[in-house]
Amino acid sequence: MAQDQPLLAVREALRGCFPAVQEQQRRWRGALGDCQPLLAALGSLAEQLQAAQVARLDDAPPLRAFPGLRERLRRKQLEAGDDVLDKLGETLATLLKVRDVVSRHVEQVFEVYEQHADAIGIDAVQRASAVSPSVADMLEWLQDIERHYRNAYLKRKYLLSSIQWGDLANIQALPKAWDQISEDEHQSLVQDTLLNVSFFLEE
Amino acid sequence: MAANTLGGTTPRKPVLSVSARKIKDNAADWHNLILKWETLNDTGFATANKIANLKISLWSEDKTELQSSSPASREDADKRLPEYSKELEALCEELQTTYDALAKIQMKMEKLSSTTKGVCELEDYHYRDGRHRPPLFHTWPTAYFYEVSRKLSDMYQKELLLKRTVIEELAHTMDHDLTLSYLSMWLHQPYVETNSKLLLESMLLETGHRAL
Repeated sequence: MAQDQPLLAVREALRGCFPAVQEQQRRWRGALGDCQPLLAALGSLAEQLQAAQVARLDDAPPLRAFPGLRERLRRKQLEAGDDVLDKLGETLATLLKVRDVVSRHVEQVFEVYEQHADAIGIDAVQRASAVSPSVADMLEWLQDIERHYRNAYLKRKYLLSSIQWGDLANIQALPKAWDQISEDEHQSLVQDTLLNVSFFLEE
Repeated sequence: MAANTLGGTTPRKPVLSVSARKIKDNAADWHNLILKWETLNDTGFATANKIANLKISLWSEDKTELQSSSPASREDADKRLPEYSKELEALCEELQTTYDALAKIQMKMEKLSSTTKGVCELEDYHYRDGRHRPPLFHTWPTAYFYEVSRKLSDMYQKELLLKRTVIEELAHTMDHDLTLSYLSMWLHQPYVETNSKLLLESMLLETGHRAL
């Protein structure tokens, strides 16, 4: 029984980690959901900016009575754009938080594992049962999940940092580029992993 | 002469607190009128958007009609056109109603400015001997309330004029970029300057509607 103690400690740590990941995954999805309308708004603003540039408002006869209209409109459009960017910045900060919280949890599990690794032995680590995957598998999955959040966050941060009002075509293409990131990702990774450990968690 | 007697016999403080009350009420009115304006602006934008979309679908229909001018599709289009123009007319009326409500608000804003001016003139009269004028609230001289009121009124007046033009042009322009720009103008209100929020908020702060 005393021999099982180290293995039990690692399994206990794993049992604490997966629900935490599940909770973070909910936050992650929520934040991504918040981004959709903001990106659409940004795309629409880029279209409006583009149209106002092409339309030569100052020359249109009915608008001659409005001096500086084009500049004023542009300023207000850009202000609205900055508001949207601020909100996007907030959701990006939420994504970053998720990434860090997940990393911390995974790190803690690995610390526990490393403390007991020698005592547990390689056979016990690799042993799976009908209801429980092996500790080795679960640790690997956690690493995959952590890597997944790191990459997912970085790609989105990089995309948003490429936004420049001078490049309207890029902004208009943003919602599509954002969706592309999601499509390229192994979206169900976290969900699949949680499914794989569901019996283990209930044990 | 009558005014002179009034000025001489009435204690100064009650007159001033009546002025302060008036200015304070005006500040609250400004706040409410701008809120109403913003709501109407959103309503109007939704209508203007529908008008633009309807027109765009009309254009694309015209184009397909040109491309495939088979008698059957022409007949269909002829049937649909009166329905479209009926819908367009209804939407234009809706937008006009919103505009009328905006115009009413703008008139009330003008009134606020003129009553504020009245308060200033009353104060000028009371302090015509050049004595020191204590501020009605914290720091603002009374004339500054009029200045702010005037600035805000002017912004909304100009904006109303622009909205008038947008309504007149939106249903008639055939240019896609102009249509989109008219919509954008309605939404973003280029003549309501960004500092209007600051002006309003500082007026609410000065009059005690907002806690320091």
